[in-house]
Amino acid sequence: METDQLKFVLSELRFSVWLSDEMLRQIAAVSSLQFFAGGSIVFREGQRGDDLLLVRRGRLALEMNVPRRGAVRIMTVGPGEMAGWSALLGEGRMTASAIAVDDVEVVRAPAEKLQELSETDHEFGYRLMRSVADGLSKRLVATRLQLLDLFAETPPSASRLDRDPIGDV
Amino acid sequence: MNSLASPLSQDRRVADPWQTHPVVIRDIRREIDSVATYDLAFRDAALQRSFRFAPGQFNMLYLPGHGEIAISISDDPRRTDGMTHTVRTVGNVTRKLSGMSVGQTLGLRGPFGTSWPMTPCVGRDVVIVAGGIGLAPLRPVIYALLNDRCQFGRLNLLYGARSPDTVLYHEEFEDWTSRGLIVHTTVDRSRPGWLGNVGVVTTLMERLRTFDPRNAILLCCGPEVMMRFTILTAISRGLSPRQIWISMERNMQCGVGLCGHCQLGPVFVCKEGPVFRYDQVSSFIDIEAL
Amino acid sequence: MTTVHDTRHEPRFVNKEKFGEIFALLRQRGYTVIGPTIQQNAIVYAELRSVEELPRGWADEQTPGKYRVERRSCDVWFGFNVGSHSWKAFLFPPHTVLEKAESTDEGWQFTTVPDDPPKYAFLGVRACELAAMRVQDRVFMSGAYVDPIYHARRGSALIIAVNCTQAASTCFCTSMESGPECTSGFDLALTELSDGFVLESATAEGAEITAALTTEEVTIEQLQSAQHARQQAVTQITRKLDTTDIRDTLLTNLTHPHWETVAERCLSCANCTMVCPTCFCSSVTEVSDLRGEHVRRERHWDSCFNVDFSYINGGNVRDSVRSRYRQWLTHKLASWIDQFDTSGCVGCGRCITWCPVGIDLTEEVAAIRGESP
Repeated sequence: METDQLKFVLSELRFSVWLSDEMLRQIAAVSSLQFFAGGSIVFREGQRGDDLLLVRRGRLALEMNVPRRGAVRIMTVGPGEMAGWSALLGEGRMTASAIAVDDVEVVRAPAEKLQELSETDHEFGYRLMRSVADGLSKRLVATRLQLLDLFAETPPSASRLDRDPIGDV
Repeated sequence: MNSLASPLSQDRRVADPWQTHPVVIRDIRREIDSVATYDLAFRDAALQRSFRFAPGQFNMLYLPGHGEIAISISDDPRRTDGMTHTVRTVGNVTRKLSGMSVGQTLGLRGPFGTSWPMTPCVGRDVVIVAGGIGLAPLRPVIYALLNDRCQFGRLNLLYGARSPDTVLYHEEFEDWTSRGLIVHTTVDRSRPGWLGNVGVVTTLMERLRTFDPRNAILLCCGPEVMMRFTILTAISRGLSPRQIWISMERNMQCGVGLCGHCQLGPVFVCKEGPVFRYDQVSSFIDIEAL
Repeated sequence: MTTVHDTRHEPRFVNKEKFGEIFALLRQRGYTVIGPTIQQNAIVYAELRSVEELPRGWADEQTPGKYRVERRSCDVWFGFNVGSHSWKAFLFPPHTVLEKAESTDEGWQFTTVPDDPPKYAFLGVRACELAAMRVQDRVFMSGAYVDPIYHARRGSALIIAVNCTQAASTCFCTSMESGPECTSGFDLALTELSDGFVLESATAEGAEITAALTTEEVTIEQLQSAQHARQQAVTQITRKLDTTDIRDTLLTNLTHPHWETVAERCLSCANCTMVCPTCFCSSVTEVSDLRGEHVRRERHWDSCFNVDFSYINGGNVRDSVRSRYRQWLTHKLASWIDQFDTSGCVGCGRCITWCPVGIDLTEEVAAIRGESP
């Protein structure tokens, strides 16, 4: 895909809200658009991550392998969201596998190139990190909400159920 | 605020708020774990035919000797031969109810409370965000919207459940979809074989494309934490507090604003609620232990 | 019967020796007289059969957390202010049966149990108590649903008010504009002088009762003495509650650190809500026979200070003393205004007197405002 077309694709993603037009062009120049058929594996848990992925279309399911439980699907990632941030941060190894739930189109932005651009232009680096941090914070809040288990039947303070309240509900 | 349905008796002002009517259990449908839907009808057939409610309202169901509970009516408002209530077993009265069978009777008072806005939805996109059993008080408004489908814009249901086994009313989704409601489901915890979304329902709100934030109404019901984050996401998507409606829950005993139990700041949830427009409660709704 | 058709009639004077006639008169008219009397070292409201049962010559001393009665001179009949009782116990009874459920072959049958109270004549109602009744009128009768028990009792009650001629240290009715002078809402109002009462009637029934009593024409001196006596109550009031912007002040300070401070003292004992003449919270309980076939639904007073008052789905919304105290104070002085277009407080000072640790809500409000008490 042409750089200009890819730049346009990037500009439509919620991920890009912090990125300037010039930045989008720079990222587009080093990135590519990739298609995955539904069911295919986009990256594996534990594998070295080379690219930051931005979902344009479709959904990716993130799965983690738990001994005796197998692959546990922990989250689905949709259009505008990122995956593979471990390529840019952390140890560089994917912390989960990503499987295409439906047919998926992602923008692949090589982490090495992004890092080079960030080193030479700190403004670029700041804005890129800002976007990644933003995505991660949303991901963290969502994960916490999952952790709270809000729809659980038995509320955590189970001892209360032993008392006889006057009313109910 | 919202308009209420027509009352059980003509002269509301001197009607005894405690007057209870016997209702018969016509049908019990086991839904997901610990949740069942009871189809009730007044023993007095004429009373049943004249019973009307607005989506979002609730009845007080009375089990003599055990107590009374406030349960949203989860029916199609057009229906005149019975009233359904989806109830989760959480305490003494609901546990007693879950052990009852078809043909047995209980007491009913109602309908009480405010209802989901229908007029503001006309000509607009409607986004319904439900979490867990929060879908039950929203089902009547889904029916009401679908019954008059052409009056409204795009209709979306974003539903979050704990797991694939606890998706409430899932057998109706196909029918709703065919009638013009786009259904998006997500679960907190998946299980093998689940090919749908995994994650909290707020992420569905973040991703939703099929609505225009400038011309939309959001209706939300679920655990308070879920509603809080849904509202934050909705506002970040461009909705104003006046476009967002929520349904709250508090300890209800009289159902008519006389016993004091259901107070939340300056409002009585049974009287000014349970359905509130967000801007009317936003200044105090997030205060801890209010 | 009070309220709308207030028409002032000419005041009369009734000598103390003749005043006792009113008891027989009220009984003849079918009333059960409730008024102040001494029981267990306190002045309470109970059924009175004759003038001898009035606490003549008794006075009270009230400070935060303290209530004492003492004998003073025999001449002053109403030389005290308000005690732990209020008239709400007769209009909104602490225990009442609402309905009955009977198990039959066809299932449950429900019958409302009609309230059958005596016709009450309240003797000795203070201005703050008249204000409290007006507040509860709004609570119980101004909404879409009317409480039938309160409605009926209120409608049939005869109100004989007494103008205060002294104030307790805990009184602050002037701040709430609810007293000390009785201006409306009564059938008869009395102002005590040394030898008798200036009697004002405001309704047709009040006028009838006045006419049936042995009264004299009132003199200018007596009217002036009465005014002077009433003024004494005003000048003796020392406690103040600053009500400027109180609704906004409290509702925008829901996370003020002071709530934590007062919570350290508050025992959450619910005394204040029990003695408060406007508090209206109640709960319903089931009373059934052993087989569960005959069930009574009973309503009784409850309090937002009770731990599980706000219980829902496995937990209490207001689990801490801090949140419960905040609920009570902000409801009484702020939210009440949103709900009923009036303050919930009438300045009677009972909550200050009867709080075991002497918490004074006028000081608590000042603390929230950031002023030193």
